[in-house]
Amino acid sequence: MTGSEDWRAVVRRLLAAVLDRPAAALAALPDDTPLFGPELNLDSFSGMVLLVAIERDYGCDLAADDLGLESLETIGTLAAYLRGASARPPAPG
Amino acid sequence: MPGLARVIKCLVWDLDGTLWAGVQAEGDAPAPRPDVLALMDELRQRGIVQSVASRNDPGAGARLLALPALAGRFVAPQIGWQPKDVSLRRIAGELNIGLDALAFVDDSPFERAAVAAVLPEVLVLAPPDLPALLARPEFAGGPGTAEAAARPRLYQEEAARRAAERDFAGDRQRFLESCAMVLEVRPAQPADLPRIDELVARTNQLNSTGYRYPAADIARRVADPAGYLVPVARLRDRFGAYGLIGAALVDRQGAPGPWLVELLMLSCRVEGRGIPAALLRLLLGLAAAAGVPALDALYRPNPQNRQMALLLRALGFRATGRPGPADPAATGATVYRRGTAPPLPPYPAWLTLDVQGFAREAL
Repeated sequence: MTGSEDWRAVVRRLLAAVLDRPAAALAALPDDTPLFGPELNLDSFSGMVLLVAIERDYGCDLAADDLGLESLETIGTLAAYLRGASARPPAPG
Repeated sequence: MPGLARVIKCLVWDLDGTLWAGVQAEGDAPAPRPDVLALMDELRQRGIVQSVASRNDPGAGARLLALPALAGRFVAPQIGWQPKDVSLRRIAGELNIGLDALAFVDDSPFERAAVAAVLPEVLVLAPPDLPALLARPEFAGGPGTAEAAARPRLYQEEAARRAAERDFAGDRQRFLESCAMVLEVRPAQPADLPRIDELVARTNQLNSTGYRYPAADIARRVADPAGYLVPVARLRDRFGAYGLIGAALVDRQGAPGPWLVELLMLSCRVEGRGIPAALLRLLLGLAAAAGVPALDALYRPNPQNRQMALLLRALGFRATGRPGPADPAATGATVYRRGTAPPLPPYPAWLTLDVQGFAREAL
């Protein structure tokens, strides 16, 4: 998976699972939808579930790599982050 | 995890050969070892609850735990034929505590080795370790607080909540609304200090810095209302009262500078109910009411407290990249900041707030 288009779909699929919402509802939201805004209403608890799912499915420990959690701004910024992380070789050890 | 002292919150007992001598033959009433019962009483006083992981017939096990000497002593006991690591995971899940907060005692070297291999986080003990248990720092518990003494009841109320949540079949919002939660927030009083110290020692996931403040440092802040705001939060719902479940240390830093949240900590028993967000939202409201333009918060990452970084982001705080003040409590921490201009984020809809003793316009 290399295109950012695919990672946007991945993020929407993860959000649909974490928030227990239909995939179609997530597909209708634009890329600049804030993750912690009123449309998605992610909170610290569901946000944690999202991070755990990302680590489990993609081996990416986002909170360790992105200390300020800057990637958790919108659907688009998270997709861009995951695309970048997937292109990087895994850290040694 | 350097800097994080280990705290055991639950001791899990094997039955045969550990709680009583030998294997319980059918029909005989077992005689629990008096020294073990005395140890359990002392641990309970220290706020450490007890559970059971026994490979046994579930029906026979339930009858054993109903014996007068044992009734009411155990939370979330696991009796069945499943491996003990499965039982320990279930206990940690039911109590919503980390595996590293569990200790497990079993007379069988096989069971001890099996648990140690699969769950290295769990503290594994043999019966000869028991006499020295009370002197170990992991079992020091907190000071004798009302919350510590009530902990077995609190965990039983939590089991009732989880059963009720299952009835709502995944509609968490409706479940939370049905709980009729009331969050009471007051300025800390001297009588609250032992419980605040206990939260300082015990909280991990919902602790913004993980710094274990000496008791004198907390007492000094509580005694200085002009310099510090120290709100404490209590939660109750239709299942019972949780007691004092959270507190914050806020340095006013003199007018008009931003207030600094040095520490925000909550018991993990209230996780998933929007309580940390409500408390942080209240601090924003109090700062806004006092004419303070921004609220700063210290966050020091550790492997357990990522949820606090998410909380700060969810409420609109952003990492400034600046380190905290030159203070041992702030070493390795970074400052998050959010302005206090309206609109402030909403409170969770299912929560009723009961806030007194602060500026009235804060809400």
